[in-house]
Amino acid sequence: MDKKVILEVKNLRKSFNPAGAGFTAIDDISFSLEEGQILGFLGPNGAGKSTTIYCILGLIGPDGGSISIFGKDITKNRSEIFKEVNYASADFSLPWNLSIWENLLVYAKLYEVPEAKRRITELLDMFEMSNFRSTATRDLSTGLRARANLCKALLNKPRLLLLDEPMASMDPDVVDKGIKLLKQIQKEESITILYTSHNMWEIEEIAGNVIFINHGKIIAQGTPLELTQKVLQTGGKETNLRDVFIHLSRGGG
Amino acid sequence: MNFNRVYAIILRHIYLTSHQLERFFDVIISPVLVLILWGFLATYVQGLQSQTLAAYLLGGMILWVIFEKVSTDIGINFMFDIWDRNVINVLASPITFLEYLTGLITISFIKILVALTSMGLMAGIFYNFQLSSLGFNLVLFWINLFVFAMAFGIFNISLILRYGHIVGPLTWILPFFVQPFAAVFYPISVLPPVFQKIAFFIPISHVFEGMRYTMRTGRFDINSFWTAVLLNAVYLTASIILFAFILKKVIRNGRLVKLV
Repeated sequence: MDKKVILEVKNLRKSFNPAGAGFTAIDDISFSLEEGQILGFLGPNGAGKSTTIYCILGLIGPDGGSISIFGKDITKNRSEIFKEVNYASADFSLPWNLSIWENLLVYAKLYEVPEAKRRITELLDMFEMSNFRSTATRDLSTGLRARANLCKALLNKPRLLLLDEPMASMDPDVVDKGIKLLKQIQKEESITILYTSHNMWEIEEIAGNVIFINHGKIIAQGTPLELTQKVLQTGGKETNLRDVFIHLSRGGG
Repeated sequence: MNFNRVYAIILRHIYLTSHQLERFFDVIISPVLVLILWGFLATYVQGLQSQTLAAYLLGGMILWVIFEKVSTDIGINFMFDIWDRNVINVLASPITFLEYLTGLITISFIKILVALTSMGLMAGIFYNFQLSSLGFNLVLFWINLFVFAMAFGIFNISLILRYGHIVGPLTWILPFFVQPFAAVFYPISVLPPVFQKIAFFIPISHVFEGMRYTMRTGRFDINSFWTAVLLNAVYLTASIILFAFILKKVIRNGRLVKLV
């Protein structure tokens, strides 16, 4: 049976013109995500990953192309669609002066989460953060703040989750725990995830498929193993996205 | 309009105000301090001159504080979401910009009601000045004051959206550009003719004129009221159109996500 297409990006284009020096951030990219899929979205700094995510979120208007989520055009049904979508990035923490509980309660209201307090308690337990529920966000370590971000991102049991380097600046142990937990929740709640990271090990662990973009264009895609074999031209059975990344970033085909 | 989401924004700022002493001071305590200063001045003037002048000063100051605090608070609330690097998370949610703005305006309204109540109590206890002595029909003028403050706040947010929070300090300064023409403490007639013409186009100048007329005669100044309503309708519409235009532009050119 065919799986439902959750996210479909078609011929997306976006150029910017900062101080007259125009550049193309996204150059006609198309891809889709099926229900339950985790797609790793890779590329060097400035490749167009975050711009693509902002376009999906409706926070940057594309020059051309279309984006549909759950089969609906995001420009026409944004509020309805985004009740079932969520987003997290290590760049944006929750407000520092509010406690974790207060922050999550505010976002639960924003996403109209039913039985909000129960869901918050459940997530804090899952991420081993129950002891920090009354702690102000500013008093948490980087790792705990990232976990709080993930709690926020999972509040509404999203069908589509957009994660833009959610575990940046976290130590490998915390990343490992975070990835395992995320995979478990993803499986239980059948979440579709678009995941960007510069940590290749993280992508190898979590993503079933990978898209590599550079200068706004998709230059390679496949499973981590397929990409490794194709780009590095090896017949081995081990993934090596780190070398794939370096090869493609430096212009290799 | 989804009121759950509007409530979420209100809740976020209630928590913020309760945790950050400076927010509490800015909106609730500073108006009371201003009242104390002007209360003593009014007491002094009352002894020297007339009770009416003292009431004009105190009444004018209280109404000015409503305008100043609401108009700045809307922009400041928005900047707090930028400073907290929270604005992208909020805008990535199902909330519409209209709901977000409604939340910011409502929380400013709630805060100014609390401030007004504190000022009213202080004025009554220490200076024997009853807010109700201004007459309850003045509530209609107060609504005009609030509507102009709202238009001003939306204008402030539009500037921040367009130029980033670097222009944030303007939020505090802009109301004082209006103050000389608003005829808060004196009648429009004392202004030079050119200034009088400018004052005519400022809705709150009619509010203050209307307040003084009512205090002087005990009658409602219907002309000033309707002039203020019409001007406010124009300013509010213009501020919403400007906001929508700038929002569309910053989404198109990618500046919205660069706010943080």
